[in-house]
Amino acid sequence: MNGFTSRRQFLQRTGMGMGALGLSPFLSSLQGSDRSLNPLAPGKTHFSPRAKRVIHIFANGGPSQVDSFDYKPALEKYDGKEMPGEGLKTERKTGALMKSPFNFSQHGECGLWASDLFPKVAAMADDLCVINSMYANVPNHEPSLMLMNTGAERVNLVRPSVGSWVTYGLGTENENLPGFVSLCPGGVPVVETQNWRSAFLPGAYQGAHIDTKNTQISKLIPDIRNPRMPKELQRRQLELIQEMNRQDAEGNAIDPAAEARMHSLELAYKMQIEASDAFNVEREPAHVRELYGDTLHGRQMLIARRLVERGVRFVQVWHGDGQPWDSHSEIAKGHGKLAKEADQPIAALLFDLKQRGLLEDTLVIWGGEFGRTPTVELPTPGANDANTKLGRDHNHHGFSMWMAGGGVKGGMQYGKTDEFGFKAVENPMHVHDLHATILHLLGFNHEKLTYRYAGRDFRLTDIHGHVVDDLIA
Amino acid sequence: MLKPVSSTLLPLCVLLINGMSAPFVSAEEKAALASKSEGTPAKSEFSPEQLEFFETQIRPVLADNCLECHSGTKSKLGLELNHRAGWLAGSDYRKVINLEKPAESVLIKAVLHSGEKGVPAMPEKGNKLPPETVEKLTTWIGMGLPWPEHEETTKANDPLKHWAFQPVKAEAVPENAGHPIDYFVRRAQAKAGVSPAARADRYTLHRRANFALLGLPPKYDEVQRFIDDPKKHEEAWPALVDHLLGSPHFGERWARLWMDVARYADTKGYEGAGQERRFIYSYTYRDWLIRALNEDLPYDQFLLYQFAAEQIVDPATPDKRHLAALGFLSLSKNGSQDEILDDRVDTTFRGTMALTVSCAKCHDHKFDPISTKEYYSLYGIFLNSLTVDTPTIGEPKLGPEYDKYLAGLAEKQKKIDDFLAPVLERKAKEHPDLAGQRDKLITKVDREDRRKLTNLEGERDKFIADSGMEPDKAIILRDRDKPINQHVFIRGNASRRGDLAPRQFLAIASEGGKPNEFKNGSGRLEMAHQIVRPGNPLTARNIVNRVWMWHFGEGIVRTVDDFGMQGERPDNPELLDWLANWFVENDWSLKKLHRLILTSETWQQQSDNPKETENMLVDSENRLLWKFRKRRLELEQMRDGMLDVAGNLSNEMFGRSVVILEPPYSNRRSVYAYIDRQNLNPTFRNFDFSNPQETTGKRPTTTIPMQALFTLNNPFVQDQGENLARKTATEKDRVAQLHRAVFAKAPSESDRQLAESFVSVYEAETARLGKRQTNTEWSYGWGDIDETSGKVVFHPFEHWIKEAWQVGKERPLKDNPLSYLYVDANGNTHPGYTAKESVIFEWRAPADLRVSIGGAVQRSNVGKGNGVRVKVATRSAGVVFDKVLDPAKGSLDVSIPELTIASNESVYLIIDPHEKNSSFDSVRWNPVISDLDNKWPKWELAESFSGPATPSSSWGAYAQGLLNTNRFLFIE
Repeated sequence: MNGFTSRRQFLQRTGMGMGALGLSPFLSSLQGSDRSLNPLAPGKTHFSPRAKRVIHIFANGGPSQVDSFDYKPALEKYDGKEMPGEGLKTERKTGALMKSPFNFSQHGECGLWASDLFPKVAAMADDLCVINSMYANVPNHEPSLMLMNTGAERVNLVRPSVGSWVTYGLGTENENLPGFVSLCPGGVPVVETQNWRSAFLPGAYQGAHIDTKNTQISKLIPDIRNPRMPKELQRRQLELIQEMNRQDAEGNAIDPAAEARMHSLELAYKMQIEASDAFNVEREPAHVRELYGDTLHGRQMLIARRLVERGVRFVQVWHGDGQPWDSHSEIAKGHGKLAKEADQPIAALLFDLKQRGLLEDTLVIWGGEFGRTPTVELPTPGANDANTKLGRDHNHHGFSMWMAGGGVKGGMQYGKTDEFGFKAVENPMHVHDLHATILHLLGFNHEKLTYRYAGRDFRLTDIHGHVVDDLIA
Repeated sequence: MLKPVSSTLLPLCVLLINGMSAPFVSAEEKAALASKSEGTPAKSEFSPEQLEFFETQIRPVLADNCLECHSGTKSKLGLELNHRAGWLAGSDYRKVINLEKPAESVLIKAVLHSGEKGVPAMPEKGNKLPPETVEKLTTWIGMGLPWPEHEETTKANDPLKHWAFQPVKAEAVPENAGHPIDYFVRRAQAKAGVSPAARADRYTLHRRANFALLGLPPKYDEVQRFIDDPKKHEEAWPALVDHLLGSPHFGERWARLWMDVARYADTKGYEGAGQERRFIYSYTYRDWLIRALNEDLPYDQFLLYQFAAEQIVDPATPDKRHLAALGFLSLSKNGSQDEILDDRVDTTFRGTMALTVSCAKCHDHKFDPISTKEYYSLYGIFLNSLTVDTPTIGEPKLGPEYDKYLAGLAEKQKKIDDFLAPVLERKAKEHPDLAGQRDKLITKVDREDRRKLTNLEGERDKFIADSGMEPDKAIILRDRDKPINQHVFIRGNASRRGDLAPRQFLAIASEGGKPNEFKNGSGRLEMAHQIVRPGNPLTARNIVNRVWMWHFGEGIVRTVDDFGMQGERPDNPELLDWLANWFVENDWSLKKLHRLILTSETWQQQSDNPKETENMLVDSENRLLWKFRKRRLELEQMRDGMLDVAGNLSNEMFGRSVVILEPPYSNRRSVYAYIDRQNLNPTFRNFDFSNPQETTGKRPTTTIPMQALFTLNNPFVQDQGENLARKTATEKDRVAQLHRAVFAKAPSESDRQLAESFVSVYEAETARLGKRQTNTEWSYGWGDIDETSGKVVFHPFEHWIKEAWQVGKERPLKDNPLSYLYVDANGNTHPGYTAKESVIFEWRAPADLRVSIGGAVQRSNVGKGNGVRVKVATRSAGVVFDKVLDPAKGSLDVSIPELTIASNESVYLIIDPHEKNSSFDSVRWNPVISDLDNKWPKWELAESFSGPATPSSSWGAYAQGLLNTNRFLFIE
């Protein structure tokens, strides 16, 4: 704690006159030193981090691995035939094996087999670290979303989200923006705001949900605009408030809480400008906007880049409200449309991060809460209509995700599913392992990033999780 | 001579003098408690030879082969082999040794690699133990596990010796010691060498007490009366405290604090599609809390009702309101049965005894003496209390509206019945054995029908919840008719049953450390009686500590919901115990406790201490309470305070919850806020509100810019500023009136100067800016330009319809040259018929500036029409840009590298339909104006697009400014 008794004494010692406007330099020492007052002050990692920020692209609903990044020639051979061996339980009844409606070919120097579902992302193969052996615990959306986002699959066991943990650990590099932002166009995914909640961690670590369908900044962040005062007048009002605060503090001992609030008023004022700027893709040159494409997904991926560039720690980009990737029927059409929306923007993001030198320490993660069955889904009364055809059911036994940048190996494929792409069999990687690895890349020992609550030290990975060293460059 | 702080305190102090130090728990009880380790064979004295055998023959074997995995709290299978008690306790699944028949010990079988089913071969890593080593182990077990006694008994952290499990010891406060709280606090201060602060002035005390007891700011007149009260402080102050304790607002403030403990919410949590999430009657619990606290229901009864009201309320009495107390249990978040039960165990014990019992769900508590079996004993109580009922406790508002509601409800119900009847008929045919058993038939309904049924029921429930017409009802729990037994779920796994866990209380909080099995139904009422048993070492300590935290910002034990080994130790254990004892002696009266605390000099200290620097060196965290901890208002205090000082706070008490943070802004107190457990408005938690998913001990205290964005920009706060301005509009001395309202204090000379200069600058600035169409630098309209003089005729658009500015209410206007004129948030626009009806964006410079203009006009109807003509002009520079967007092209860059412009002068950005042909003239233009000196942020049409200005008045802005000061937002 500082040894200055009063503001006056402090200002005298630092050579500032009492009439000096602006905030005392005391506040800069406040940042980083007292996280209870400033919960978003930069935190200390356990070891030197490979990634400083994360963009998690969430293909919510469950994208199919056997139609994207997990090539299974056997499916063509066995198309329409019963799967040999013992079947695995998923949510609904499935029938014979079904070949992918998409064509696979090799990409990049690494020769990654990927389908033409994501042609532009596949073209970045040498930057991708594809994990083919992901697995979760159950074939249902709610628990799997919770597992992927909070490490605790029971929907009612409310635990902090990955983004909240990361922001708790790392703080933010830019106090003029929230530390954790969740972009989801059109509403909220299944299980709603629980996907980005801070639970028992302080509210400062909750994800700020932004509906990217809106284009007006005033609709993106609550209270970001003063609806009744032009900025000149608002500045006058702020000066009045701060002057009264300064006069009241005079002669008293420095009160960190009161000083912190004065600081936060200034931050809020700046945030009005900075946040507007961050979310405003119109500020990008035309060629960059074209790179991402003038679409909803192009815009939100560009916003994601603008946010991490400005120091936001964790950005989650959802495909849309509900569970868009949930192609129980007509997967060719469903997945085809969704991938078309996402492919160029994602590839543009990777390319753009790379050309700016940001990919090096930005971890990009793509995937859903689980994958889909290599077998065709059968009509189930009540669950889907009788016209259901050529779709796939949920599959938590084995699915694919990829990561890029942020200290992971590019041009890498890790783990394998069985012959048909149903179950992870070689180097299976549980969601907890993914979390442990993400935290490791960010400089944290997942067993030591803990928060004391209700008599226990909680952690993202609970009692599980192993860092998968093979993925780390 | 004893110097009591107030006359009513006297009898209590007399009590003290008469040797009131009798502890809660007798010496016998204490002894029994210490030897709680049931099932442990009495430890015999081991001979030196036996110990020598252990040290030389056994300990090295353990160290080399076992302890890597089986040591400490992270031991595999929960088997700890690094201390004798661990050997005796065994793994989470079973005992591993047999003292009578050592060779049959599971552990011996394991190291022998017996291959018996379920017995793993040990050690897992490394080599199999040689037969002679196994032999020695067997012998050692036969000896009764000789182990040096000092390693067990001198363990500093013997849980049974932990402070919180010891009986409450109330030390006698000597005569002449003054206020007992001060006696203990000052003693600790003197010992550490820190000096307390002086008593705060009457203004500060009044304001502090109002927020502390009522959650509301004081009124100027009342503060003045108190300041002017000629009575001595020793009389005037307790009288004021009593006055405040008598206010009905007291219950509103303190109910909300308890609601943090009770994880209160108006919704159940996440539910699938079609199901109603609202509880509908949650508010009756909140209303019960308010009444109970206002009536000062003794805390033991307060708890008894919350655990078992349905067993206490006389079925014959017409007054059923106490039934609502069961909301403490029944308003838990939804989930599986296991999750609901776990939540109830957790909320009960963390909430009322600061014990983390839930940690013992899968294994014995790693730190505290709570076994898994005990967890399931308590779990079993709630398992037998799962039946939810909603008896009516109020009266319906009879009348035509109610009749209409009943008719509507009948209709919804009929829909369900009509749907269900044929379904059940069909099912009855399929299951003739179940004919007539409706409940059982319903379980046979097919998935698709069940989905339809859920939706229909959801519609009915939504109708009930929306209407708000049902009379008040309590959400209660009832015991199962025939209780069922709960077994331990090994490692929390319901499919692995362990020992039977009889319904009974925790040993550490039971008389003599020996709980008795509960006999009545679920045992819930008996459990409640055990919680409030005066000898229970935790309950009274828990509540006095929480009340202390709510008054001082930190508890005497800072981990208010964890008194276990992992929690903090009390900063002043003697004070905590004295308070706990005093509280029980004083009929568990919360109001008396508040009075006791507020009349202490400790509470009345200033928040500044001249010895700050010296004290800080000794105690930088102010654990010794050498000054009052200045605190920011909590969300509820802030919001209610803003409404109250603006004269806008509703006095209405009780009733259904209201949405408070979204427009139209309610003027009800925040305790009546609708709490959406699943999707809580983020503003709540931005202001550190409790997490309604689980019981909350202490709210965090953070400062983040999102809080300031709310107080600066939220229309609710601005409304209160305007309300204040309106209410003082006719006052001669407006500054004084505003300060009296907001701070309950007259303004200082410097305040007046600031106010005057602010208002005059604000008004001058407003005048300089002129009447504005929007609150930004931009205006939108139409008109014409004299191309030579640059003189512009500008008509601002008058209508703001569907987020766009336009000429009339309708668009297009029929046969009108202004027909298609409009602009929207993306810069989409369209000119009128001719150049005279060009669309114009006006941007007014906020200062003398050098700017550049960028952006492009885009047109989608490529190849059609004759294009548009784009002009940029200022009064002083005339037309600086004039080009036609070629109809064959989609875009025209409008860039002006540099333009000098004076403060308040306008730049006009104009689109003329070009040669009187306005067909296909829909264009999009998002001009960007940048300050070349980089002092101002960019101005961009789309980014700052906004509707009509409803500008804050100068006095409204001033008043809102006052609401944003630390002076208002902090309690000193």
